[in-house]
Amino acid sequence: MRVRLLVGLLLCAALASVGALAAEPQYGGRLVIAIGVEPESLDPIGMSSAPAATVSEHISQPLIYLDVDGTLQPSLAVDWEASEDGRVWTLHLREGVTFHDGTPFNAEAVKMNLDRFLDPASGAPFRFLIARVTEVEVAGEYTVKLYTDEPFAPMLAHLSHSFIAMVSPEQLRALEPGDAITHPIGTGPFKLERWNRGEQVILTANEDYWGDRPYLDEVVFKFVPEDSARVVMLETGEADAIMRVPPLDVPRLDAHADVEVVHATSVRVIYIGFNNLREPFTDVRVRQALNYAIDKQEIVDVILGGAGEPSTAPIVPAVFGYYEAGPYEYNPEKAQELLAEAGYPDGFSATLYHPTGRYMMDATIAETVQSYLMDIGIDAELITMEWAAYLAHLQEPPETADYDMYMLGWGTVTLDADYGLYALLHSSQWPPAGWAVGFYKNAAVDAALDLARVTPPLDVRQALYETAVKGIWHDAPWLYLHDEVQINGVREGVHGLIHHPLENISAWEAWIDR
Amino acid sequence: MVWYFFRRLFLVIPTLVGVSIAVFAMVRLIPGDPALAMAGPHATPDYVQQIRLRLSLDEPLHVQYDRFMSGLLQGDLGRSTRTQRPVTAELWDKFPHTVELTLASLLIATAFGLPAGIISAAKRYSIFDNLSMLIALLGVSMPVFWLGLMLMLLFSVTLGWLPSVGRGSLLHLILPALTLGASSMAFVARITRSSMLEVLRQDYVVTARAKGLRERRVIYEHALKNALIPVVTVMGLQLGILLGGAVLTETVFAWPGVGRLMVDSIQARDYPVVQGAVLLLAVSFVLVNLLVDMTYALLDPRIKYN
Amino acid sequence: MRRLLARVRSWEFVRQLRRNRMAVFGLAIVLIFLLAALFAPYLSPHDPLQRSLRQALDGPSWESPFGRDELGRDILSRVLHGARISLTIGLVSVGIGALAGVPVGAVSGYFGGAVDLLVQRLVDIMLAFPGILLAIIVVSTLGVGLTNAMIAVGIGTIPTYVRLVRGSVLSIKEYDYISAARAVGAGDLRIIFRHVLPNSMGPIVVQSTLQFAVAILWAAGLGFLGLGAQRPTPEWGAMLANSRMYIRVGAHATIFPGVAILLSVLGFNLFGDGLRDALDPRLRGRM
Repeated sequence: MRVRLLVGLLLCAALASVGALAAEPQYGGRLVIAIGVEPESLDPIGMSSAPAATVSEHISQPLIYLDVDGTLQPSLAVDWEASEDGRVWTLHLREGVTFHDGTPFNAEAVKMNLDRFLDPASGAPFRFLIARVTEVEVAGEYTVKLYTDEPFAPMLAHLSHSFIAMVSPEQLRALEPGDAITHPIGTGPFKLERWNRGEQVILTANEDYWGDRPYLDEVVFKFVPEDSARVVMLETGEADAIMRVPPLDVPRLDAHADVEVVHATSVRVIYIGFNNLREPFTDVRVRQALNYAIDKQEIVDVILGGAGEPSTAPIVPAVFGYYEAGPYEYNPEKAQELLAEAGYPDGFSATLYHPTGRYMMDATIAETVQSYLMDIGIDAELITMEWAAYLAHLQEPPETADYDMYMLGWGTVTLDADYGLYALLHSSQWPPAGWAVGFYKNAAVDAALDLARVTPPLDVRQALYETAVKGIWHDAPWLYLHDEVQINGVREGVHGLIHHPLENISAWEAWIDR
Repeated sequence: MVWYFFRRLFLVIPTLVGVSIAVFAMVRLIPGDPALAMAGPHATPDYVQQIRLRLSLDEPLHVQYDRFMSGLLQGDLGRSTRTQRPVTAELWDKFPHTVELTLASLLIATAFGLPAGIISAAKRYSIFDNLSMLIALLGVSMPVFWLGLMLMLLFSVTLGWLPSVGRGSLLHLILPALTLGASSMAFVARITRSSMLEVLRQDYVVTARAKGLRERRVIYEHALKNALIPVVTVMGLQLGILLGGAVLTETVFAWPGVGRLMVDSIQARDYPVVQGAVLLLAVSFVLVNLLVDMTYALLDPRIKYN
Repeated sequence: MRRLLARVRSWEFVRQLRRNRMAVFGLAIVLIFLLAALFAPYLSPHDPLQRSLRQALDGPSWESPFGRDELGRDILSRVLHGARISLTIGLVSVGIGALAGVPVGAVSGYFGGAVDLLVQRLVDIMLAFPGILLAIIVVSTLGVGLTNAMIAVGIGTIPTYVRLVRGSVLSIKEYDYISAARAVGAGDLRIIFRHVLPNSMGPIVVQSTLQFAVAILWAAGLGFLGLGAQRPTPEWGAMLANSRMYIRVGAHATIFPGVAILLSVLGFNLFGDGLRDALDPRLRGRM
């Protein structure tokens, strides 16, 4: 049941509870967490970002829980096994669980949820997670069988993904076709009380939770895109915890008596993708040139205050299947040579789309990249978009995709390279099917990724991913930037918050002593 | 008088119709397919088609406008592409916050601007007069968003006295209201001062003085009452201007009002919401001005009704 | 004879203006910004776009009197180049507003009747969008960017010109010399352009000075909202939008661009007020 992964690295991703551990947990109270962006949706088939997962996990749960150590833990499913040939997975469900509306949780509910997620018409952006499933069968009141067309190695890890969350069958039945769930009814430790758009989500403790009732009575997630505003909220006590402390503020907060800064690992890489179908990014020399043009170390040192590492692969070292392929050194002369070879001695103009308030210092990093590109004669036009609209914009099919470059981050939250590489770089995943937003295609890479998904032996998979990573690194479909580190801030007196490497912050074990 | 009211009411109608046409035209002037813009990037082809029919884009413009207006009159402004909720629901969530901020700003503007103007006029060319008129001058020239940042720097970051962003306790209201109210405060002070000076030159005041009434009584009993009429008008008009200025202030302080909603929606290409917010702000502005004009007519019998 | 009178009046005007200390102060500010804009490349100690990450957010020093921004760019150089952008915005926007607003206002006031009614209703509609809102609407329709922001602000200033010119034409229209011109058979257009408009020039000049201030303010507002000038353009409002994220660790980056906006707007306002007092003595002492 244990996923054999590079768990050791994650262990340092502390189950960081701040302050003295000795005190007894207390019940009651209200915890305010300020996060950067608003979930684009809380509907399982509408979610596509970590902030959505962070909020959603408190309300609607996936069948399996990936804990901070990278271990798959029983949750709504208590046990599971694969058939001999690896094509059928049997899940045994927890009994006696009810949704927040009182509807019982059972195999039928799982089937409804998974079928909805799998239905191509519903357009779940993360359908690829379990797209290999051909049928979901109710094999008993509390037993579900998943049939796949091929043995699907990362199945369990994928089922732990926060977006494959269970919502009440009653709610699904009541839904008009084409309507999205705006007020999910799940089985989680907290119920969604109210969602004030553009402002906050208010959650209240689920008194009938199947696990231990959370200590807190209420958890509020406030959406505060301005980094500075979140920091001030933490300092003044308006927020009990904030995500993504800007690195420049760390010394100040460290000096603050009532605030603790928590550094936690992350499984996220930050990159700027190229639209590989648009001139001049069709030329590998141009793509490589841009990789040589940016001083990643300088960005990490100065803008991120040392929080992070220049990327050495399209996935972080903690992920199974990692291979150290880089980094591309900073060499503007070489960049210019490559550009000249490709026929662009004087550079060119291109658009660079980026979010703001989503990743650490994202807007500043985008502007820094713009500035570096200016050095080699490339005029990059920065286009900032609100998060949800930005994600939607990156789901256009090749014919209508109008961007040249786009900044994104990706956390390989299953800790398995399949999720990081297949989803972003396999040519079958071009939008609108998936998240291969750069329209990269390399037959050899495709083949290696395909084979690695259906081959159970880990050493063979590792070798295949090595091949894939080497190919991807050379082809440079992205401008590789850095591996992120999370910096969160917590007020004194708040205990038991989970700072997950998946860049979630979870409050079901949290309590406040005051 | 009644005739004037009717006339004034009558004049508002073409304005409101014009506003609706402007808002109607807005979406149709956006480069690209209006149906796609209104349906939002998440939409399925079915939904885009549904929107196309709803907007009746294939029909002549006047038919489209007809549909638009009948939807509008039934309170149907379409659905947000971002949240899938009706635009009216989004606006209804945020509008009270904008009204709250606007009224608080007006209150601050009056509470400080009015006394400053009166005292300045009473003690003309004194240090107080020069100082407050200098401040008023700065207030009129001040970029409101920068003032907000500076107040935030002083009161939140440096002193830690007041919360910086968001809406919550009454304390949250202070900085945004002060920021938004600053230019109105300056305006009210300047108007009050000049209106007072004007009145103080009038015959009856001069007479009152000649009769040996004390200066204090002259100013506060005789002059003030008459000087206030134009001031009241200006304050009313400021209310409308504040509604517009709220856009910037709400952005600085992450105040969850219609202005911030509008800016966010522009960035999210959520055109139905942008349309709705624009409409709401403009209509409120027109109606507030209408009310002010009528109040003014009631207050000041000297007004000409032609 | 008329010319002589005009000359005397102009002397009187200059004398009036000079007596108004505030107006002189305003004019001085305006001139300073004008010089900064004209000679920005020569006055700037550094390239306004040159990044220097290791100096990011360094405070004011001899080398960079206003300090450095989040990418280590020299803020003084950026503010100086920003003057260029802001004055251009002012010029273009006021140009648009005046070129569209003045003729329309003149025609509306001169002909009256149905034309006037129509124009007035149109102006009412434009004025129904308070303040910067009209500009925001135009930008959100046309798309963001510096050029569109100038157009948007320009459109936003049209109603002021229409109202102003109409009013002034209405009062001039009744004068004897206009009737005289009409009597000798001058055409409407000729009357408007030869007789009516030149006599409304005073208020138009005053208004343009004040509208310059408004244009700078609105364009900075659009830049601040991310709807105007885009990065890395050193436009004052856009600079604030970026630097406000660092207000706690590098407040200087937020202070100086704001001071630049405040001072330039104040300069145009003071100068405009002074001009009004000087050109139209009847208004002296009023708002």
